[in-house]
Amino acid sequence: VSRVELAVAPVETGALRDGARALMPAAPAIAVWGLVTGLAMVDSGLPTRWAVLMTLVVFAGSAQLATLPLIVEGAPPAVIWITALLVNLRFVIFSAAGRQYFRHLSIGQRLFAGYINGDLGFALFIRRFDAEGERGSPYQWGYFYGLAAVNWVVWQVASLAGIFAAGWADSEWGLELAAVLALVAVVLPMLHNAPAVIGVVVAAAVSVLGVGLPVRLGLPLAVVCGVAVSFAVESTPLGQLALGERR
Amino acid sequence: VTDLTAIVVIVGLGLITLVTRASFFLLPARIELPAPIERALRYAPACALMAIIAREVLAPRGAHRVNVDNEQLWGVVAAGAVFIWTRSMLAMMTVGMVVFTVLRLAG
Repeated sequence: VSRVELAVAPVETGALRDGARALMPAAPAIAVWGLVTGLAMVDSGLPTRWAVLMTLVVFAGSAQLATLPLIVEGAPPAVIWITALLVNLRFVIFSAAGRQYFRHLSIGQRLFAGYINGDLGFALFIRRFDAEGERGSPYQWGYFYGLAAVNWVVWQVASLAGIFAAGWADSEWGLELAAVLALVAVVLPMLHNAPAVIGVVVAAAVSVLGVGLPVRLGLPLAVVCGVAVSFAVESTPLGQLALGERR
Repeated sequence: VTDLTAIVVIVGLGLITLVTRASFFLLPARIELPAPIERALRYAPACALMAIIAREVLAPRGAHRVNVDNEQLWGVVAAGAVFIWTRSMLAMMTVGMVVFTVLRLAG
């Protein structure tokens, strides 16, 4: 097994390739999301130079979309930042879920893992290693960065394409739907037992019912409710019910 | 809004995203979270993705559209069925977009 000491973590080179390969099926999803986000940034009235800075520095579609109208209308920075914090609450939950994998890296390495840790990449990472006992190995770090690097490049290229192509695509085409379908393809294989299925149904319901809540608070609330219900169902007879093959 | 203000706001957004994404990673390694919490949190990514999907489809732009006239809903249902059957992302996206587009043009 060949290893390299990257600045971000010691990794197995084969794992980098495995991770990159694991992301490929989701690459169209990420590209469409990035494109839609890039288009939306410029359509909302954000000057191109700020949109470019935003995608490179922030690298978080949901936080970008939620704060755009506030930035464009010149809201106080504190309001914009608090909005982003609330939209990002689910990442706090993700970081708790993934903590075991990164705890033994240096502070700088852990910060960088945080920067690059988006929704899709993390979902695929957890799906791959959830059943293993070990948490935090050069194979896992390599796999993470294989996923993350491809995720970052695809997202940024698509986002920049959207920024510079703004005004060209028609909102009636349903590009947003294409992005949603891609997410469906990522989430379905994760529903491998009854608790997971019941949890996502609850999360979906809370998310839709909570749409009127300020600053997208319905999203973290949906995650908390879904996780709590999944966990509660685990200890019932339904908890043992497995569905389909485990990938 | 000046360039300087925009840069401060955007860099601030980047820092906030970094801090939230890295939050628990930064806990000292010796600290253990309660095992039941760590077990429960394995469900978080799927719940977050499904919450995003449901919001986009059933409440696009913040307005509820929970009804049978929702073309996006049928697109997603058709695509989900195709994916479970074929495991092909290309097939599911094609079917989902075709169903959506046909209903949109017919509606």
